[in-house]
Amino acid sequence: MRIFKNLGQALRGLRLNRGNTVLMTLGVMIGIASLTVIVAIGDGIKIKVLNRIANMGFGPESFSVIAGAGRMFFARSKNTTSMTLEDAEDLLALPTVRLVVPRQRKRMQIINKKEFTNTRVYGVTPDWQLARGWEMTDGNFLSDSDLDRSKRVVVLGATPARKLFKGKDSIGKMVRLQNNFYEVIGLLEEKGLTESGYDPDDRALIPLTTSMSRLTHQTYLHSIKVVTLDASQVPETMETVRQVLRRNHNLSALADDDFRFITPEGIMQWVTESEQALNRMLILISTVSLLVGGIVIMNILLVSIRERVREIGIRRCFGARRSDITFQFLFESVLVSLLGGLMGVVLGLTISFGLKRFDVLPTHITMEPFILSFAFCTLIGLVFGIHPARKAAFLSPEESIRSQ
Amino acid sequence: MSLIEMNSICKSYRNVGFETQVLNDVTLHIGEGDYVSIIGPSGAGKSTLMSIMGCLAQPTSGEYILDGEEVGKLNDRKLSRARNEKIGFVFQAFHLLPGVTALENVTLPLVYAKHSPGNAKERARELLAKVGLEHRLHHTPGQLSGGEQQRVTIARSLINDPRIILADEPTGNLDSKNGIEAMKTFDNLVKEGKTIVLITHDPEVAQHASRIISILDGQIASDSYQKTETC
Repeated sequence: MRIFKNLGQALRGLRLNRGNTVLMTLGVMIGIASLTVIVAIGDGIKIKVLNRIANMGFGPESFSVIAGAGRMFFARSKNTTSMTLEDAEDLLALPTVRLVVPRQRKRMQIINKKEFTNTRVYGVTPDWQLARGWEMTDGNFLSDSDLDRSKRVVVLGATPARKLFKGKDSIGKMVRLQNNFYEVIGLLEEKGLTESGYDPDDRALIPLTTSMSRLTHQTYLHSIKVVTLDASQVPETMETVRQVLRRNHNLSALADDDFRFITPEGIMQWVTESEQALNRMLILISTVSLLVGGIVIMNILLVSIRERVREIGIRRCFGARRSDITFQFLFESVLVSLLGGLMGVVLGLTISFGLKRFDVLPTHITMEPFILSFAFCTLIGLVFGIHPARKAAFLSPEESIRSQ
Repeated sequence: MSLIEMNSICKSYRNVGFETQVLNDVTLHIGEGDYVSIIGPSGAGKSTLMSIMGCLAQPTSGEYILDGEEVGKLNDRKLSRARNEKIGFVFQAFHLLPGVTALENVTLPLVYAKHSPGNAKERARELLAKVGLEHRLHHTPGQLSGGEQQRVTIARSLINDPRIILADEPTGNLDSKNGIEAMKTFDNLVKEGKTIVLITHDPEVAQHASRIISILDGQIASDSYQKTETC
């Protein structure tokens, strides 16, 4: 087939004009590499967020109410003093609500003699364990009497337990939070690191009342987790909860909520929306970077053709048609673009892998870039190759053979 | 019927407003098996005549019939085919593809041939052996001497077994010894029945041909047959 012969001549042309070939691949390579990295980062962040959600311990029948106006994880106001234990009690009284877990949260140092570590300390009620369904490996969870008497007791997650006690028995030992000593009464079952590097075991739980009086010195709550009887009741329960809280907080009809909801569905929606925004940006960046790569190819190919006028003349003298010359240069441009794309994907994946390996950014590596860049590069090669190729084909054979 | 039939060919080039008349009413018939030299001083229009004869350029006016086909009416496809099958070019500057081996340079016309024979490499080898280069098959032009390069171009011009060989100053870049060698090759090709058109400004080279056409200022100044007294 004639076209395969043109392909063969194109390969030879690329080999003989190595300098230009390298320059042409560079443009596409950089574009595709950056694209690959961006896609990998995008995928990585998405997975990280999804993991986060999974680790928030949401079942389909539960949601959280966070103090302070705003949306999802982004608080708009710092006025978070309005949610109280009375609110939690009122919510528990609702007919569709099975469990309510009022919560305070603070990140701080936890100390055992010379060992110390930074962890998330939560003030919770005994229902926390039921709501999360989290098993114990040793000891007991917080009890109602611990709560009633504001006892200084703590249940440790696997991470602080390991850091503070190095595998030795910890039940009954004392650890220090700020200036108070707490007795370790239980150990939570280890869940292990998630794929995204989030550590669910990095926590310590104390009675909510103890947290209020000794740790945060605040009487208001940071969040309330609500578990309904059935997943189908979540939307109506959320609406009732909103009304109860607005009434309790004396909010006028015009005022915004001074709390916000986090639901698995809400998070999913938020992720989808952010992903769409990210994708739009990706499309823009990729279009620009590939356009640049294409223009680089076109320009260098035009220069290359000027250098190779004589070669084109020789080919024409010995029977090459215009179409033969067109195809040869079109093949050169597509091949160069594909080569650049391949190198770009490899470079991009290497960088992505490096980012992940050295914990700079979460990245997720898929086969997608290979397929995408194959399609894109073929397109670029064709679009930006056609002009130089036609130009070469329409050179006058007489003039090109006589050019110096 | 003549193999090459040119009737009142004119060719002018337009260059930034200037119009230069290069060929002016050239009528020329060359028969199969002729051995023709076209001589004339530089700028006389020899090369343009050769370009038209080789279907590399179209005349501004006039009619050119190559092997019974009117070239002016051919499209690019058919013109390319005519160049591929009917004509073998030999150039003063050799015009070999750089970086490509002698063998591959010789087979270049087969890349564009309608039916490329299966034994292309074999044929190319034979032709290179015929011009005495059997030991240089895999050398690139840069590794060959001028004389050797010219012999590669002659082998290339023959690969498709064309009826006409168009040689533009074939000895121009050669020393006298290689020049004589090249001319001997052409003399032998005529004996094999090829039609040869030599373009030269060297009267000694022109003497090899049986017919000498001299061009002056774009017109045929003389056209004479002479007795063949080659070797």
